[in-house]
Amino acid sequence: MRALRWSLGGAFLVAVPWIVAAVAPGQQRYILHVLIFTALYGALALSYDLVVGHVGSLSLAHPAFFGIGAYTAALLATEARWPFAAALPAGIAAAGLVALVVGVPMFRLTEHSFAMGTLGFALVAQIVATNWVEFTRGPLCVTGIPKPELGSLRIATLPAFYWMGLTAVGLVGLLYHGLTTARLGRAFHAVRDNETLASAASIHPLKYRMLAFVIGGAVAGGVGTLFVSYVGVLCPTELAVSLSVNLLVMLFLGGVGSLRGVLVGAVAFTALPEILRMAPTWRMVIYGLLLLLIVIRAPDGLEGVIRRGSAAWRRPSSSGP
Amino acid sequence: MGDLVEQLVHGLTLGSLYAMVATGLALMFGVVRLVNFAHGEFYMLGGYAFWYAYRVLGLPYPVAGVAAAAATALFGLAYERTVIRTILARTWHVQLIATLATSITLTNLAIIVFGTQPKEVPTMLSSAIAEVGGVRLAWQRPLVLVVAVVVFAGLEWFVTRTKLGRAMRAMSQNREACAVVGVDVQRVALATFGLSAALAGAAAALVSPLFNIFPDVGALLTLKAFAAVIVGGFGYVKGAIAAAFLIGVAESLAAGYLSYAYKDAIAFVVMVAVLLVRPQGLFGRRIGI
Amino acid sequence: MALFETRGLTKRFLGVTAVDAVDLSIEAGELVSLIGPNGSGKTTLFHCVTGYLAPDGGRVLFHGRDVTGVAAHRIARLGVGRTFQVVSVFPRLSALENLLTFLQQHQEESVLARLVRAPRVRRYEAAAVERAMTLLDSVGLAARADAPAGSLSYGQRKLLAFAAALMPDPELVLLDEPAAAVDPTMINQMKEQIRALHRQGKTVLLVEHNMDVVMDISQRVIVLDHGQKIAEGPPEVVRRDPKVIEAYFGR
Repeated sequence: MRALRWSLGGAFLVAVPWIVAAVAPGQQRYILHVLIFTALYGALALSYDLVVGHVGSLSLAHPAFFGIGAYTAALLATEARWPFAAALPAGIAAAGLVALVVGVPMFRLTEHSFAMGTLGFALVAQIVATNWVEFTRGPLCVTGIPKPELGSLRIATLPAFYWMGLTAVGLVGLLYHGLTTARLGRAFHAVRDNETLASAASIHPLKYRMLAFVIGGAVAGGVGTLFVSYVGVLCPTELAVSLSVNLLVMLFLGGVGSLRGVLVGAVAFTALPEILRMAPTWRMVIYGLLLLLIVIRAPDGLEGVIRRGSAAWRRPSSSGP
Repeated sequence: MGDLVEQLVHGLTLGSLYAMVATGLALMFGVVRLVNFAHGEFYMLGGYAFWYAYRVLGLPYPVAGVAAAAATALFGLAYERTVIRTILARTWHVQLIATLATSITLTNLAIIVFGTQPKEVPTMLSSAIAEVGGVRLAWQRPLVLVVAVVVFAGLEWFVTRTKLGRAMRAMSQNREACAVVGVDVQRVALATFGLSAALAGAAAALVSPLFNIFPDVGALLTLKAFAAVIVGGFGYVKGAIAAAFLIGVAESLAAGYLSYAYKDAIAFVVMVAVLLVRPQGLFGRRIGI
Repeated sequence: MALFETRGLTKRFLGVTAVDAVDLSIEAGELVSLIGPNGSGKTTLFHCVTGYLAPDGGRVLFHGRDVTGVAAHRIARLGVGRTFQVVSVFPRLSALENLLTFLQQHQEESVLARLVRAPRVRRYEAAAVERAMTLLDSVGLAARADAPAGSLSYGQRKLLAFAAALMPDPELVLLDEPAAAVDPTMINQMKEQIRALHRQGKTVLLVEHNMDVVMDISQRVIVLDHGQKIAEGPPEVVRRDPKVIEAYFGR
């Protein structure tokens, strides 16, 4: 029964470009563009949730890893003419490697200091991207990033990019699910909820924090690579700290620590302003207030609201999980 | 040689700014155990308040400065009453995200209200250049340092000689005991926020003539002030002040002799370097402000 | 060779010597109690020997191996289980999952194998669940296996923590005040649980204030006062030792 639902849902998602073409032909370009961004944001948010939601480390460094992956791929593609099939793993590896190197000193810091340390790292990354003009072109941006080519397959149309995005968020979702359930998930959650006790349970807190941090960072780098291959241009403004705020809004709006919640949050975050056509600064004001409200009143996000609602609907007879 | 002196004076000016802002941050952490990620925005708002009082209303410099500090203090009180009250009992995750969210909201509101163009507020002293033994510097710079020293002396007097100040110090050492003895914990918390905000506002009035005011001036400032607080030993005000001057001078020297573009990274580098060698901060874990 | 030893173990905090050159020697299979007035350094000693605090002096030996200053998770892995003075569970996990979490490192698969759920991993999971349910049953929590640990009562959480510590089948079990805040009617059950551990051949060291429990079940009692060991021996001998009496009452 579940398999049927998954297949139908999957088929529907794959068929979206044709559905949109049939239902709203004039809007197809715009809708697909929004959906591509939603998919990429979804994957990015999931990678961030590994660190924030499942291992409980409030890192603000994610924009840096996104940017490192993006710049690595962009520069390799434009300067060294690397094909997409090589630039993508390079972006992932570069981001993961930096996460490994930065994570070791960072995790010696606790709580606020860790958050501040990662924030500082993100700021420094943006400063470097903006000022190392010989390498990154600085504010002039890296332009002319080629569209991905995988052998004879060329991803150049909007539907093609949509399927790329869909594949990305699907794969990241599978990875997320595998990492956050069963024993691995329990280890992460143990470190998050009671680090002292986790040690008593032979769980190496630093190992698992680093695991989440590095995998999260590597995936962010991968998303960065896909992002630049779609947009074709990369500017240092993409590494802005506000990306962390956006991600936090997605996580907390939808439901931190939950696959469905985070994806719902990503959809709500990306689709909503497009529907509302808000100006960028007003958008950030609303997001700031929204995040403030949510984190105080409903830290479980929409996922929590849904769960509480469905628990109230369910009849009292309980028969195991 | 003259060049070095100029860099040092510039460093002391920066240090004064960072110290005043860091003191507020250290006070808030020391007294109510809360890290305010929106602290830099106190400075930003203070700067705009000062601009409004000085350039728009045309008030004399000292009056405009005091008005700016007072306006910021009022904002700090309102902020404590609204946002902070609700998150004081929550986990630090919630506090961090809530104050970060506030920071983003205020920054973008400032863009909407004031625009992204920096506001210039030159005063007589920032335009008047002194030449002392081959060294050229604006009179505003020594003024900043002098006022900062006076402010810190005043703060020390406040914390040791006044009832409210002593209550703050007591709360930073043992909050539960204070509540038991009848200290009005709520009032002290409120006053701490007002004071911290006032410090940031005063810093803005002093330093804006040199550096201008723009909406996201707060972000980097929060980071550097926080670096000073960490390096100085969380919650230890004198440590934060010392660390802030260290960072200010280091940044100025780095900007002058290494690279101007990367100067903002210095605070971060200093912080990480200190933390790796001495995680408890330069002065160790002290109890109380 | 003693199973567990400390030699000259010392720990200082801000000028106070919490543990002062303490020598302990515990043979395999013993049931020993560590007692002393409040602030005598008992829990600090526990933290030093289980890797939560780095000692300032002296050595800790397990099976003759020097484990001084080794990190907590590694010591746990060597076969040392412990409970905490303030009851500690994973509140968001169910009782069953709490126990399963304690069986993390005792199967050596790589992260990748766990990720793709290799069949071997699934077999281990099933065996782990069985063992967990048996343990939960022995402490009377089998019916609450799926309840979030945070929703259990204090006494139930205490039992859960006890069961969880036993999940990886440790050789040495350190219990920090197992009788504290426990319903008097439950104390007998708790004493039985500890005696059962002893019968299984485990080595038990417990910190305890409840003198009835200590005198009733201990083979040997060690007394600390102001961080120093002041007496050691069978319960009846120790309770009459004038130094011990003075430590407790002579202030």
